Amino acid sequence: MKEDYLWDRSGEPDTELQRLEEILGTLRYQPRPLRIPADIQIGRRRSSFPPSAIAAAIALCAVLLGLWFHFNQRAAPPPLEARRNAQTAPKPIETAPQIAPSRGISQTSSLKGPRNNGKSARSSTRNLVAVRRTPFIRRDTSQPELTPQELAEKEQLLIALRLVSAKLNLAQRKTQGAPQFNTIRNQRKIG
Amino acid sequence: MLEAEATADMLLMTQPFEAPLPAAPEIVEEPVAALLVKAVLAGQRERFSALYEMYSPMVHGILLARVPRGEVDDLVQDIFLHALRKLHTLRDAAAFGPWIAMIARNRAMDFYRSSKETVEVTEQMAVAKPPTGAAKEILALIRRLPEAYRETLVLRFVEGMTGPEIAARTGLTPASVRVNLHRGMKILRQKMGVVSVARP
Repeated sequence: MKEDYLWDRSGEPDTELQRLEEILGTLRYQPRPLRIPADIQIGRRRSSFPPSAIAAAIALCAVLLGLWFHFNQRAAPPPLEARRNAQTAPKPIETAPQIAPSRGISQTSSLKGPRNNGKSARSSTRNLVAVRRTPFIRRDTSQPELTPQELAEKEQLLIALRLVSAKLNLAQRKTQGAPQFNTIRNQRKIG
Repeated sequence: MLEAEATADMLLMTQPFEAPLPAAPEIVEEPVAALLVKAVLAGQRERFSALYEMYSPMVHGILLARVPRGEVDDLVQDIFLHALRKLHTLRDAAAFGPWIAMIARNRAMDFYRSSKETVEVTEQMAVAKPPTGAAKEILALIRRLPEAYRETLVLRFVEGMTGPEIAARTGLTPASVRVNLHRGMKILRQKMGVVSVARP
């Protein structure tokens, strides 16, 4: 089998292939010793998690945790305190039972109506504290004061926005093929 | 014509190996290479010489199929030194053969890139290196073949490796090597002007 001779030199030898082997065999690699320089460095595989990176990650986590606690405490509201017999509370807050659930009344909430006044003489000096459970979010609802020039610019901007809106509505109606309404109303023909 | 070639390739790839003699090198050489690579990485630098002796003919053949013969020996040394420096980047120690074969192919491409910029071919140089022997003429014919065929043919006829050895060292599948050998040989015969005897 000549094909087997080409593949692995088994079977019937092919004279043509043998001739090629003889001719091209003269170009065969002549072994030479490998000269390895003494100063050659074989690189080491780097560890995927070097200790310095782990330490830096831990330090970063600690800093972030500290910042989170710091700002969380600053953002929390001060506890609402009210003395039961305080003169500063002229009338009871009716919404207090809605704020504090009923199971928490015995411990924290406590702004009751005047019907409890006679019963609780012995605990009149006790401070009643209502603590808000949800985090307090301050919202600045105050409007910034605008100068007359800024007010005029604001008006111009609003007019421009209205114009653009009207033009867009008109374009939408045209593209949809709807009949255009007369934008000039309550106006009689002249002449 | 194309259908006939495709059918022939299919037959070559699916042909059972009636004489599986060279199965032994595939089983033996890969673990040896892996052990040698691990030993070198562990600090036994002298073990790299064994890898060099084992794979230098393959690297020589790959280079000979691509670059001028006078440059091949120095390039073989450079490639093995480069491989020694970068051995830690080899993920699979058993894949040393395919890895260094790829380094050799890339180095051959780099050789032509750099030589285009720096080496100026003069008329004297062209006259100084004419193909004198039959070996150089046939090698020049092989170098005009497609890349896959020329590398396989050089490894087979110049380096004297068998098909299964080529597959084991380069990482190619035996079926691919078989197809490359047969198709490359067919084209080489046509280029050499030798009319192959039609097989029954």
